[in-house]
Amino acid sequence: MDDGIMLELNELRAGYDTAKGFVRAVDGVSFSLKRGEFLGIAGESGCGKSTLAYAIMRLLRDNARIESGSVRFKGVDLAAASAEEMNKRRWTDMAMVFQSAMNALNPVLSVGEQLTDAVHAHRHVSEGEAKAMAVEMLRLVDINPDRLKSFPHQLSGGMKQRVMIAMALILKPDLLIMDEPTTALDVVVQRSIIEKIADLRADLGFSVIFITHDLSLLVEISDKLAIMYAGKVCEYGPAKELFSAPSHPYTRGLMASFPSLTGPITRMGGIEGRAPDLLSPPPGCRFAPRCPEAFEGCDREEPGLRPCGKEHFSACRLIGGAK
Amino acid sequence: MIKSFLKTLVSNKKSLIGLIILGVFILVAIFAPFIAPYPPRADRIVTIIPVGDPSRSEEQLSEEYPSANEDLLTIRATTVTEYQKHIQYFPLRAKPSPQHILGTDQAGHDLFSQLVWGTRVSLFVGLVTGLFVTLVALALSLVSGYLGGIVDDVISFFTNVMLVIPGLPLMIVIAAYVTMRGVLPIIIILCISEWPYPTRLLRSQVLTLKSRDFVRVSNALGERTSFIVFREILPNMISIAMAEFFAMSMIAMMGEATLEFIGLGNVSVVSWGTILFWAQTNGALLSGAWWWFLPPGLAIALVGTSFVLINFAIDEISNPRLRKR
Amino acid sequence: MSDTVLELASVSKHFPIRSLRSYGKAVHAMDDVSFSLARGESLALVGESGSGKTTTASVIARIYEKSSGSLSFGGEEARPFRNRAEALGHKKNVQMIFQDPFGSLNPTHTIREILERPFLIHGLAKGRAELEERLVAILEQVGLSPAAEYLRRYPHELSGGQRQRVNIARTFAVEPGIVLADEPTSMLDVSIRMGIMNMMLALKESRGVSYLYITHDLAGARYMCSRIAVMYAGMIMEIGPTEEVISKTCHPYVELLKEASPSPESGFARKRTPAKGEIPSLIDPPAGCRFHPRCPKAKAACSAAIPAMRDLGNGHLVRCVLYD
Repeated sequence: MDDGIMLELNELRAGYDTAKGFVRAVDGVSFSLKRGEFLGIAGESGCGKSTLAYAIMRLLRDNARIESGSVRFKGVDLAAASAEEMNKRRWTDMAMVFQSAMNALNPVLSVGEQLTDAVHAHRHVSEGEAKAMAVEMLRLVDINPDRLKSFPHQLSGGMKQRVMIAMALILKPDLLIMDEPTTALDVVVQRSIIEKIADLRADLGFSVIFITHDLSLLVEISDKLAIMYAGKVCEYGPAKELFSAPSHPYTRGLMASFPSLTGPITRMGGIEGRAPDLLSPPPGCRFAPRCPEAFEGCDREEPGLRPCGKEHFSACRLIGGAK
Repeated sequence: MIKSFLKTLVSNKKSLIGLIILGVFILVAIFAPFIAPYPPRADRIVTIIPVGDPSRSEEQLSEEYPSANEDLLTIRATTVTEYQKHIQYFPLRAKPSPQHILGTDQAGHDLFSQLVWGTRVSLFVGLVTGLFVTLVALALSLVSGYLGGIVDDVISFFTNVMLVIPGLPLMIVIAAYVTMRGVLPIIIILCISEWPYPTRLLRSQVLTLKSRDFVRVSNALGERTSFIVFREILPNMISIAMAEFFAMSMIAMMGEATLEFIGLGNVSVVSWGTILFWAQTNGALLSGAWWWFLPPGLAIALVGTSFVLINFAIDEISNPRLRKR
Repeated sequence: MSDTVLELASVSKHFPIRSLRSYGKAVHAMDDVSFSLARGESLALVGESGSGKTTTASVIARIYEKSSGSLSFGGEEARPFRNRAEALGHKKNVQMIFQDPFGSLNPTHTIREILERPFLIHGLAKGRAELEERLVAILEQVGLSPAAEYLRRYPHELSGGQRQRVNIARTFAVEPGIVLADEPTSMLDVSIRMGIMNMMLALKESRGVSYLYITHDLAGARYMCSRIAVMYAGMIMEIGPTEEVISKTCHPYVELLKEASPSPESGFARKRTPAKGEIPSLIDPPAGCRFHPRCPKAKAACSAAIPAMRDLGNGHLVRCVLYD
């Protein structure tokens, strides 16, 4: 592993086989993640972000598969790895907190059982050691260890979410992927979860990929941001810069969709139209049909990611003065 | 919506097989007179040969208890011509042969004809009971589920009481007291024992739908209760009601066969169940006369399977998560 | 004819619990809720889950009857409905938009069938031709054009944003005076929300309706409404003009909400007082101020009695001992 790069995606393509053809939900996504870095991935529903998360963890099931590209995790290409190798890495090196984590907890097992199950599945330790690890993790997420015997329905939404995080971190992985972990939670609880993750990151030093559609939250907490649209990354760079100087028209549209708590109240724009059907995406730039700044050729030529700042890339023909 | 529903039913392989099997049996039931070589209770062939003019001989299939027409024919014939009557009885308990492809029973009745004619009764009882029970369940569940309160409490109470009573013993007890004429009593008995099950299931579906937002919106707009029940809730229950219909029809068909088999049904009616009854009483199992008991059992199993297959497809339609993508 | 279309005075709603174990207890969903709504005004009702905001809307919509207090529409006290005409009259005046765009539409009905109902129930169109005109008009008003395309479709053929527009069209078809919007955008994609919110604002301008806009999102409330009321555990904690409540926040809970809300433009890594504890049970609410177990500024007096609403002037009221 060189210069601290934890995860490197190169032209990853993944999708679903359907009766009508292959829906390419992830179409040529590339980015890199350093050790300890916080990458936020934002996009509308259906843009492929969840598929991306599952592809990285090699958890795609049924008719979903990785088509091409590589996922280099600490130098090893996960896309080409065998099931055994993946099993070794999953949870010990990389773990995931799933969407609607409330439903990801088994309702008939106690919290302690689920935590120790996660340990036993990947390590040969005694019952006592596993329990000790579970207790330690619960303390880390501010849950009283008495709760080891509780069942999921006895916990509040925020507590269930923290149990999921404890379960994900129990084997101290280097990478944590979180798929919409706070979507169903109230704003105060959401804030406490986010702060807890920040604290844990400071303690344990793992990298985070945080996937959500709530861009305003991501901007605050991420180091880097990747904006996905219709299966492709349309802008990528430091979060502060994407917020203060968004380059891609889609990003600009998204940033204009958040009313603010401070500053003057002005009428904001939002984005018209609908995301394209990934079964047959439009030719050229996929955002062109909805783009307020589309011009001649945008519907023919597909722009790749072009540099538009320090470590800041945007997939738009406006960069480089094409117009 | 109905069109797309039917289209999905046909395109699903499982339900297509089920529909084909059921279709074949329904056709057999409808065209029984043309498919069966003999009437179900014919046990002899009577040949009437006018003396001196054999070319005008008449062959008739006849039963143990001849009908009025036959007597009439006899009288007319004798006033004009002298003739002879040859009676050729069907063999009793015969093995399969070219004249009787499934053999005959203890009274000489052709078993294949019985099987074909029996399709009518078995299917009729099954489907009619299924339909009636499903409609009753729909009505009761809509009323008790939507209105709630004391109406729901009363209807649920009776439903639960009936549910606790075991089905088969109930059927047996009622059947023992009823004199059987035709198949109507059997249908009634089956309906009485079966109505609680779909009622309970459909009621919980109504309760779920009642709390859905579009029903709350209808209320908020000022819709009348009758509209909400029949135009908002009922259309969303069609697929589950159909699934119940097929499930209950299968249970009814097997219930009829069971009642007949243990002799509590109407044994003079010809149905798959009665064939099995006579097979059992005549020791067909012991003597290994598989041509007697196997075909009706197989027929019951096939029709039951077809109902189940159709239900798989309905499940997949109502619950998209079960669909294979 | 007063300019106040809606007024609540000390309205409470308690749901009795029907079980042997908790006999005699009740869920205190709403307690001592008071506010008024003027013609053409929009008031945001902000709170987390379990704060009582949906119950408040349900009581105003007369889905539930209040347990105590006074509820009046246009100056007239709300009485139990004596006949269907009275109930219909109320329903024509007060309409509700629900949170789930898909769940609010019957999947077995076409959009035409869905949108016809309000016109037919309230007799707002005479004859087929006029009904058709009004259907097209209302669809175009919510931005679904060409109307004919949408009328023949089923809900599952529309996107989330389009479904919510249909819901809003249905709500405005009866020409209500008061619209209760229960988190109308929280289940929509972020890029769609602004379009829906702007459309709702435009409809307000053109028709002069009053909104009670329920949300958990402070920024959204600020965008949509001129006044804001914050609820916690069934009680209103602070109410007043939006700008004042947000910039000159008084109640500690509202302060907590503000800090918790994502606010990228305020800069990163703001210092925050950590929030501890959780929303209390409404069956056995804490004695005195319901927020005091979590309040960083709690004092002894807080658990003694429920503080009354104090008027700070300019329509800004707060329920906290700090301002007694």
